[in-house]
Amino acid sequence: MIRWIKIEESPRLKETKFILNRIRENPLSLVGLAIVISFAVIAIFAHILAPPPPGRDPYIIPRAGYFPEPQPPSPEHAFGTTQGQYDLYYGIIWGTRAAYRIGVLVVAMSAFIGIAVGSLAGYYKGVIDEVLMRLTDIILAFPSLILAMALVVAFGPGLDSITLALILVGWPGYARLVRGEFLRISAEDFVEAAKTIGCSNLRIIIRHILPNAIFPLLVYASLDIGSIILVAAALSFLGLGPPEGYADWGQLISLSRNWITGTAANPFAYWHVYTIPGVFLFLFVMGWNLLGDALRDVLDPMLRRR
Amino acid sequence: MSNKPLSLEEQLKVNDLTVRFYTYEGIVKAVEKASLKIRKGETLGIVGETGSGKSVTALTILALTPSPGRVEDGNILFRKRDSSVIDILRMNEHQLLQIRGKEISMIFQEPNAALDPVCKVGEQITEAILAHRLREMVEKSIEVIKKEKDNEYDLWTRLETWTYKEMLNNPSDVRLKIIQKIPIIRDITKRRLRQVIRQEIVELLKLMEIPDPGRVIDAYPHELSGGMQQRIVIAIALACSPLLLIADEPTTNLDVTVQAQILDLINRLKEKFGSSIIYITHDMGVVAEISDRVAVMYAGSVVEVAPVKELFRNPLHPYTKGLLESIPRPGSPLKSIPGTVPNLVDPPSGCRFHPRCAYMMNKCKEIMPRLVKVSEDHYVACLLYEGESDD
Repeated sequence: MIRWIKIEESPRLKETKFILNRIRENPLSLVGLAIVISFAVIAIFAHILAPPPPGRDPYIIPRAGYFPEPQPPSPEHAFGTTQGQYDLYYGIIWGTRAAYRIGVLVVAMSAFIGIAVGSLAGYYKGVIDEVLMRLTDIILAFPSLILAMALVVAFGPGLDSITLALILVGWPGYARLVRGEFLRISAEDFVEAAKTIGCSNLRIIIRHILPNAIFPLLVYASLDIGSIILVAAALSFLGLGPPEGYADWGQLISLSRNWITGTAANPFAYWHVYTIPGVFLFLFVMGWNLLGDALRDVLDPMLRRR
Repeated sequence: MSNKPLSLEEQLKVNDLTVRFYTYEGIVKAVEKASLKIRKGETLGIVGETGSGKSVTALTILALTPSPGRVEDGNILFRKRDSSVIDILRMNEHQLLQIRGKEISMIFQEPNAALDPVCKVGEQITEAILAHRLREMVEKSIEVIKKEKDNEYDLWTRLETWTYKEMLNNPSDVRLKIIQKIPIIRDITKRRLRQVIRQEIVELLKLMEIPDPGRVIDAYPHELSGGMQQRIVIAIALACSPLLLIADEPTTNLDVTVQAQILDLINRLKEKFGSSIIYITHDMGVVAEISDRVAVMYAGSVVEVAPVKELFRNPLHPYTKGLLESIPRPGSPLKSIPGTVPNLVDPPSGCRFHPRCAYMMNKCKEIMPRLVKVSEDHYVACLLYEGESDD
């Protein structure tokens, strides 16, 4: 006798399926996801895609001589070389890894600081709120790029300084967002209800309010990664980045600065030096933006169940 | 009746409670010298219009006075499970966590809002149980393991038993804390505990007359109907069988049929758990249905307290009379009390009801009446009855 057993799907699996389905329905979000994932693959397999010369820092681009004029793509150098004969292909591949490192690190750290500050301010209100929020206001009062530049100059140029500076400039946005969500949610009845069954404040913050506040934060964070990479590239372009030869997209673009106009005979003689890093930077930022939009569609409880 | 000690049959006594809100517009005198008492196992209905201070009084009993409110005067005496008497307003935050949920808990008006939307129903009930009944649950889990003799030598089971014993005897052990931090091991070492708690929740949900508790445990609040949600809220409130349950208009937002079911349920649960209930509402019909005694509040003061039958048969305070007359009856025109609830920033002098009162005397403007006993268990705060008794 055959007995059909109906296996109930666990709600978590159902939820995951739902999210995947929503992402699948929207082609643009698929594109975003595809871009982000392919960049991730590039970053993970950088060792294989562009094997570093043994015994050297893999982030330092190997150079083929010291001739100043960039060379067009050739079998030895798939994307050609930049000014000073740095291999563009190698720079792009390892630059992806550098970009992920900056983007994820900056966003994770600023989100962490922002959550800590924002939740304390939004939950306890009063004096704590006042002090913490005026602190964030002070930082928000400066134009962020200028402040980041000033900080990088103070710390000394380099990728680590850029990361640190961007964290210090980036967290107030998260703090504001989290505080707003906390103010809204802590006024809800279920918070009061949690208090009446004897939950401690820490438990209410972590178990009840934060999960309710996390979705706008995820959307903001994914959109933020794109813009952080742009700012990092800008700082690097302005000469505040790592020393010359370090695999970093901003720097690659900066190396193409003198060659944009080309020669008198052929204005596009050096097209590859600015186009290739530019396209990669553009794709990376656009991928994250599309993904952020997709996340918003999926996670926003108002938009989702339609 | 100020500062009288708690007699043995009394569960809670609110003496001369005064709560004020310091706002930009001025000092809102939300509750003014309100006094109440609840006997063990009794249901006290509190009726009054919006803004009469019912909810503020209720939240203050849990020491959760909404900001910017401040308790200016009075005390709230409560008899704990071990029959010691405490003043809730003089407890520190840590002591309060031990009282909320375990000794006193609360049901809210809006079941939809009282449940965390991103937490499964089961998790929310678990939270209430873990907050106060962890020990009991761990002990049960050890019992469960003892009964399963066949896997005595199973390494995981031994680790699990060790974890439970450590949780009981030495909860601050470093090894225990480390184990509790490792995701998969943490889950394995609490397998029985989770089953025990789940079983407990299923029993609780059955008591709430919820069909198919197994499914409801894993549901999110938005998947349930309003009546179901309110049953869950009640289940959370009763998870630790509190001595006192405060119900703040729990049926106001439900359909009338569901409302009847919930009232019925509360009445039956009261018998089962033996809790005292403070039932706040503005619906006289609900009050008649559920309470043993009724306290009528007006503009922050208790104006009349009486057993429910006595109150409906023989209302004494002019406001209570007005309230009872304004219950709609088919065939007769709807009556209402003239005037509106006073602004509590600048309440009327003397008796706060005097501007709307049909029996107003000159001294009503000057003297704020105290609750006086007019007959057995019937108290009223009105100058018309002052001097009839010398309580």
